Parts: sequence; structure tokens; C-alpha cells
Amino acid sequence: MDKTIEELHSLLKSGEVTSKELVEESLKKSHEVQEKYNAFVTILDDAKETTITDNLLSGIPFGIKDNYSTKDILSTGSSNTLKDYVPFYTATAVQKLLDAGAIPVNKTVLDEFGMGGTGTTGHTGIVKNPWDPTRMTAGSSAGSVCAVAAGVYPYALGSDTGDSIRKPAAFCGIVGYKPTYGMISRYGLFPFASSLDHCGVLTRSVVDAAIVADAMKGIDEHDMTSWDSSDIHLYESLNGEVKGKKLCYIKELCDIESYENPTDELKLHLENFKSSLEVCSSLGIEVEAVSVDQKLLNALPSVYVAISCAEATSNMSNLTGIIFGPRGEGKNVTEMMMDHRTKGFSTLIKRRFVIGSYILQKENQERYFKNAQRVRRLLVDTWKELFKTYDAVILPVGSGPAKHLDGSKDILTKDTAALEEHLQIGNFGGFPSITIPDGFIDGLPVALNITGNCYDDENVLNIAYAIESKMNYKNQIAKEVHHE
Amino acid sequence: MSKFTKELVDDLAAKLLIGLSPEENQMVLDEFAIIDEELSKVDSFPDIKKIEPMTHTLDDFTFTLREDVASESIPIEEALKNCDKTEGREVEVPKVVGGEN
Amino acid sequence: MSKYKAVIGLEMHCELKSNSKVFSSAKNSYNETPNDNIAPVDMAFPGTLPVVNKKCVRDALMMSIVLNCETPEYMYFDRKNYYYPDLPKGYQITQMDAPVGVNGHIEIECNGKRIPVDIHDIHLEEDAASLDHYYDTSCIDYNRAGVPLLELVTEPCLSSAEEAVAFLEHMRSTYKYCDVSEADTKKGQIRCDVNVSIMDCDATELGTRVEIKNINSFGNVFDAINYEIKRQSELKMQGRYDEVEQETRRFDEESGTTIRMRSKVDSIDYKYFVDPNLPKFKIDKEWLEEIKKGIPLLALERKDKYIEELGLSDYDASVIVKEREYAEYFEECLSLGMDAKIASNWLTTQILGEINREEVNLKDFYLTPSLLKQIIDEIKKGTISSKQAKEIFYKAVEEKKEPKTFINSDMAQISDRGELESLINKILEENDAQVEQYKSGKDNLFDYFVGQVMKNTRGKANPVLTKEILKEKLDK
Repeated sequence: MDKTIEELHSLLKSGEVTSKELVEESLKKSHEVQEKYNAFVTILDDAKETTITDNLLSGIPFGIKDNYSTKDILSTGSSNTLKDYVPFYTATAVQKLLDAGAIPVNKTVLDEFGMGGTGTTGHTGIVKNPWDPTRMTAGSSAGSVCAVAAGVYPYALGSDTGDSIRKPAAFCGIVGYKPTYGMISRYGLFPFASSLDHCGVLTRSVVDAAIVADAMKGIDEHDMTSWDSSDIHLYESLNGEVKGKKLCYIKELCDIESYENPTDELKLHLENFKSSLEVCSSLGIEVEAVSVDQKLLNALPSVYVAISCAEATSNMSNLTGIIFGPRGEGKNVTEMMMDHRTKGFSTLIKRRFVIGSYILQKENQERYFKNAQRVRRLLVDTWKELFKTYDAVILPVGSGPAKHLDGSKDILTKDTAALEEHLQIGNFGGFPSITIPDGFIDGLPVALNITGNCYDDENVLNIAYAIESKMNYKNQIAKEVHHE
Repeated sequence: MSKFTKELVDDLAAKLLIGLSPEENQMVLDEFAIIDEELSKVDSFPDIKKIEPMTHTLDDFTFTLREDVASESIPIEEALKNCDKTEGREVEVPKVVGGEN
Repeated sequence: MSKYKAVIGLEMHCELKSNSKVFSSAKNSYNETPNDNIAPVDMAFPGTLPVVNKKCVRDALMMSIVLNCETPEYMYFDRKNYYYPDLPKGYQITQMDAPVGVNGHIEIECNGKRIPVDIHDIHLEEDAASLDHYYDTSCIDYNRAGVPLLELVTEPCLSSAEEAVAFLEHMRSTYKYCDVSEADTKKGQIRCDVNVSIMDCDATELGTRVEIKNINSFGNVFDAINYEIKRQSELKMQGRYDEVEQETRRFDEESGTTIRMRSKVDSIDYKYFVDPNLPKFKIDKEWLEEIKKGIPLLALERKDKYIEELGLSDYDASVIVKEREYAEYFEECLSLGMDAKIASNWLTTQILGEINREEVNLKDFYLTPSLLKQIIDEIKKGTISSKQAKEIFYKAVEEKKEPKTFINSDMAQISDRGELESLINKILEENDAQVEQYKSGKDNLFDYFVGQVMKNTRGKANPVLTKEILKEKLDK
């Protein structure tokens, strides 16, 4: 299960391995990973092999983040509010993979409803980083990155509202890709913030990401924001020809001089990034530094919190325990709903709901919500302006490797905030964005991200593919470097 | 603008049908202080009010409205299978008195 | 009370007619079986998304055009957030920011006068689920959740309960003429909110506005407005106008009064914001033109036409245009070649009388225009009297048989002068005492002789001819 999709497909085709054997291996691995890192809400022990067809995904196991609706399979969103919820319908993106003959073997843990970036707020407990169990995977697609990095299967589904695919992928040394907004239908994805939510995939190579996204994408009559991408062929268009492509990076984020008291870790991280830029140059890619209005970058994290919390508080108003989810206790309906919500949501989510609600108050909307939406447009327009000159923006992910589980809180901090949060611009603009591993700091993986213009997914993936080919981090499986 | 106070936090939480502990209440205020500070700066960006708030992620793709064709209802057993309290074909709750709308 | 004038504004919610709901493909039809018209999004199952119904948008745009509103360049929706057991998503999808129509105006008729009404906006939204209440529980039926609603908001520009109801009647008729709604108050398809304030006749500033929510019949709208005007006026006269609060009240049918629900201070902040799941939809100019072409002639336009071109009375024309099916029935009669006034008479008296008595819909009425024509043709030919015609009408309706089956030779009028003369001679001979009295001045006995003739012929004598012969014989 540590192989690529192409390799597995040819083994299956030639009969060297059977789908049944892959499922058995994947399930066995799932239990080991569950034991060590607590990555799953549900392991589907009764998963059955499928017929091998010409479809690259047929007969191969995969994982599903537990915020995708799966018919007759527990789907919790890692929340106590849905701890017993068994949907009667399957999310479009998942259904497309089932139709391709892919086999789900588990449902993975996330930060409750995707709200959080630590992998520590799911109702089944903390997910640990397979490179170092004393560290976080980051989130919210924590279980999916953990399982893919640990070699449970070649890919798992994730969702990305701020950076929930692309950041944890970095901390676990794998590839995380979210396509342009609406390329994959959101129907059946439990919403966090509808204007920022993206479906996507976690893999160990760019090729695998292309194969899986090709299978998941497509216009869906159930999602009005989805669009017809039948002329986009991600896998076929990977040719590695990137000579003459132009990339830019943001000086304010990447130059060590921008930081007053940089840590050694940050220094190493940015040095590593600069050496990745040299790899790009060696491929014939032009890389230039550009400057972006610092005050826009400073506003970024707050803008994200404002918009995502506001949308989330409305999106999760359906979680009352009336039609689904455990009924709360109480004398009347209001008390019942309140009991359900008070007991069901983690403290992080509750706090964010209140903030979202305050921001949406009639007298506050202009100052907070609408201003946040205005800065969102300014940031998106800034990036779109860059895309007129450059094929994509290349940036380091985060301010170093995975954080420690102890002493880390998911509260906004100011100093490296923009460096930590810039991936959110990809959500603001609906841009295609992919994270690939680009090195190690103290034995722990770090990564870079490439973000391009809407609908330009083929180009973004091809650039990532070319850079990946020049480095040695493709298809890596996590090896514990530190032990508990 | 009403100032964000402990009381307002509790009031908003109550309207969202969630209970907060005193610690959670304080955390809301602490977290919001940062957002407030940053977004207050935004308010002074030149010409910020002239920018149209971005409400949708994409606005340059074509889509069609749904044709008016009805499809079959979801089977009642599926609709109610996750509901803890049902009566016949309906979802049951304690008697609702008064009206909202 | 006449010291003050009332200022009234209306909000009218009307269910639209469509095959499927406004944001889901579940059936939009009344269903006795609870939870039998539901799509996943109607019950807000996690991950489900709304998808806009094209017909509902079309119908909303049509009404926007009818009301002379401005239509927005882009159509989108907002979320109105609040918690209530009948609202599964915890928000209602509605239009706040860019309704399908704003700043409109129309003319209505009230007590024979045409008055202008200003329209604030008209917008498309979804209905909530319905609650069935029992002894100590309530049960939720989601059939109604997601049913398309059109909400029309007037400016505060009406001045009496009569005008308010005239406006509502006008709109109800317009919805039906445009075939966008059944607009049946009995089925709860129309619900109204009313706001009422009073002010001194010479004042320019509006008084304190009181809102009465969720009134389900036009009769109750009328009573609620009048009650509220009286209540506010009495307080004002007593110098206690400060007790009139900006508040929300409800109408209590039993007592005929309005009862306080909540004050403005407690009003709910619905935290409206644009729904990102429903992308901005560009309203195509060509589509608007096409919709405009589909608007039929409406009630007042038809009325003017009937009076001016067909010579109907104001009253008859008003009755006929009141409902689309009346006007359609009438126009079908015309197209079959019937005389406008005759058709109008039959429709406004016999036919409407009958359908009201039987409480049936004119569409389902047995006697179609072509069957009515069988009767009218026979009157014209003189085969039957108008009295007989009425009898045939009722028989045909009752037995659901074609009128011609009741028209036979036996029914034919006696119009033969010779036959009538000999009959009348015989009657006069048998009643010589009465003839003497008549001749000596008792004129009112004339009707007695007519009656005798009719009695002897079982009503078949041609009445005109009978009177003519009787006059000749008695007055000579």
C-alpha cells in the first residue's frame, strides 16, 4: 500500500496482486495506524474488493474524511452532534470514486466540521503525526493526511476551507491538492463556510492527485456552484514541460528580513524554500520576487476568521438534534436544541459561532463582515493581477515543521500570522492550489505551495509535477523520527 | 455599535442556542479583540467602502437554473431513520407554543 | 375618529404554482400524507444544497414586470437566520439585498375609484414546514418546507381597510390571471402582514407603526385594520398616544382584536447575508422580454375593454373580470358567437349564482359555454321562453345532461295566433264576471287573464302574443 496508483493498477491488471489482498492489507494497516495515531472515526472492516477495470482507481482502497456524507456509513464530521448519524445518501465526489471502482476502507478524523487547524478537536480525540507522535498533524484533514503518510492507501479525501488539505499535507510530507472552487461538487460535504469550502485530495505524488481529482470532478445538478470541467484532463496534461514558465513569491512573507526576531526554525524553513526556488530555476522556470501591500497581508487572518465564522454559524444552524443527531434534554424544543448544541459542539466551535454571530449583527455587519468581504476581494484582485504576469505564486507552507501537541493552542497569534495563513487566499479566490513536500527540518517534513489562477489547474499541477520530479520527496512514507 | 461584552457574548450564545462556560466567554472576548483590532484598521483603508463585498467565490462561470421537474420524495423510513423521536410519519417535539413567523 | 387618517402598508405572501419546490426537486403540491413531498435539502440533511427552480424565477419576474418594478441585473438570495422547529436549516432563503422587483406601482379599483398603490418590493423565498399540534406534542411535516413563496411589500400608502382588501383582491386576481398561483386563501396559500399607523389629517409625519402578523384571510385583514385604527384613535383621542408602541401584534379571530406579541426593542436580528451556495444569476434581457410577452390581459384592462367595446355595464364587467375563469368563460361564449350582453346576463346571474350555491369552480361547472349556447340558440329561435330556458338550465346542471335533451316539441311555445285566439276566447267566456269588472275599471285584472292563459297552456303560450291578443279583445 506504499505504492502509487499507477503501480498498483498495473499490479492488479497483471494479477500479481488482487483487490482483495489490497483491501486486507489496507484494513490491517488501518488498525495499526488507529492504534498508534488515532486517525479514524470508522474502519470499514467489511470492505469488499471490486472488479478491476481500465479505470486506474478500480480495486484500490482509499480513505474518506468524515465530513463527507456516505450512505449507510456513519458520518460524524468528528462532532458529537452527529456521533450516530448514518446518512441515506452519498456525496457526489465519493459516489464518483465508487463508480470508478475505488474501495473506501475508513472514515478519517478531522477537526470538528473542519473548523480548526490542529487535528485535536475531533470528538474521537487527537490525531498524532506519524513522523513524530508528539506533534500535531495540523488539520483539519488530520486523519486523511496521517493515513496517507503512514501508507494505509495511496490517497484519501480531504476538504479545505482555509488550508485544511494543504497545510497538514506539508506537516506529514505528502501532497495536498484542492482544485478550483466548484470543479468538484460540494454536494454531500458537510459545510463549514460555503464560499470557502473546497473538496480535494491527499496523495503521495502529484500524479496520484491528478488521477483522483480527474475522477472526482464534474458538474453536478445538486451543486449550483459546480461547473463543467470536461475539457480539463489533469492526469493526461502532466508532461513536465515547464521551461519558460513564470513563478513569483511574496517578499514580505519569504524574506527573513521581514521578521523582527525570527526563530532558528523559521530561518531554516525560509532557507529551505529559497533552495527550492533554485530547483525551479534549474528547470528553466523564471522565479521573481514581488511585493504585496503589507496591510492586506496583516488583515488576512482576521478576514478569514470573520468570513468563515459568519458563514459557519449559519451553516451549522441545522444541527439541533431534532431531525438527526442525539435529541437534547429539556422541557421544550428550545431547551432541547440548546442542550444538544451545548453538549455537542467543542469549545472552539462554540466560540467561533459567537464571533460569527456578532459579526453578522445588523449594526456590526458593515464594520466587520462587509469589510472582511471587501478585503477578500482586494486580496483576490491582487493575486489575479499577479496571475496576469505569472503562471502561479510559489510560497512556503507555514513557518516551519509540525507543531508540538503540548502547549499549542488554536488561537490567533500575530507575528508569523500571515506566513501561517496565506494559503487562505487560495480559498478566497477559489484558486487551484497544491502543496508538495520540499525538504526536512530536524527530520520533519516541510513543504511549498503552488497556487494558480482559477480554471488553470492543469498548469498548476504540471509545475508541481516538474518540481516534484527534481526533488526526492515523492511517494515518501512517514518514518517516526522521534518517539514518545 | 454595541460593545462586545461578557453580557453580549452570553446573549448571542443564548440566541445561537449554545451555553458557554465563563472561561469560554472570556476566550471569545480575547480572540475577538485581535479580529477587532485588525478589522478596525481595514475601516481606514482608502476607498474601502467603494469595494464591492465579495459574497461569492466565482462569478465568471456559466450555469443554468433547474428545470421545473419534480422527483420522487425520499422514502419516509430514510428520512426519519436518524430521528430520535417520531410519531407516525412525522418528527415529534414537545408542544410548540407561540409563533415566530 | 375622522380627525385622523390611517396609513396602511401590506406584506402579502403567496404560494407559487410549480411542479417542484423552489430550491429542491420535491413535489410542490398539497399532500395529506405528511412528509411525502420531501427532498434531502428540505429537511436540511448535512451536505445538501439548494438549487433554484427556473419556473419560480420566471413567475417572480413576471409579477415584478406586472407591478412595474425595476428588476436587478443579477439575481441572488440571502439567508434569514433564526431558530424555530419549522425551519430545518435554521435559516430561510429569501431576498433582501436584490429582490426580483423594487420601486413598483400599480392601479387598483376601490369602490369604483381607481387608486395608485406603490410597491416597495417583491421577492422570492421559501416556505417553512408545518407544525401539527396535539395535546402536549407538536409534529413536524416538511411537505411545505421549500414551497415557493412570493412576498409583496407595499409602501405605507393605503388609507382604509377597504383599500387594503381591494388591493389584496386585485393581487389575488392578478396572480390567477398570470397563472402563477392558485392564490387560494382557503388552502392557506395567501398570508398577510399588515402595518397600521394613524396621524392627524393635516400632519405630514407618519405616526407610530404597529405591525399585525400572519393574518390568513382577507376578512380578517379588514377586521384587524379597523380594530387597530379604532384602538390607536381612541388612545390618541384620550391623549394617550404614547401608549401606541412600535410593536408586533397578532389578530385574534375569536375576539376580533389584536394582541401584542413583542415590541420593536425585542425584534429579532435575522443576520441577513448573501447565500454563497446560490451564485449570482444574470437576468437576461431577452428572457425578460419573453416573460413580458406571456403576460395576459389583466382584470382592469379587460374590464375597460368589456365596457368600451362590448357595451357591458360597469357592474357586469366588474363581476366578470373578478376571476380569470369568469372572464375566460365569457370570452369563450363570445367566440362561439353569443351576444355579449346575453352571455353576460347568463354568466353573472344564473351561472355564478349556481356555482356559488354549489361551491364549485367554474372550470368544473357542467354547463360549458358550448352547452349554454344550446339554450340561448333556442330562445333566439323562439322555441322556448326565457322561463323555460331557466328550467332547462337547472335541469341540465342537476342531471348533467345536455340542454337539448330537455328541449322537445312538447316544450315548444304556442306562438300560433289562431290557436291562441280560440283559447283566449274560451277563457274570456268562462270568466265573464271578471271581464265585466275589468271593463268597469279594474285594470289589474289583466294579469289574472294572462295567468289563466298560462295555466291552460302549462306556461307554453308565447307571453308577448298572449298579451297582445288579450288587449285587443278586452279593450275593444
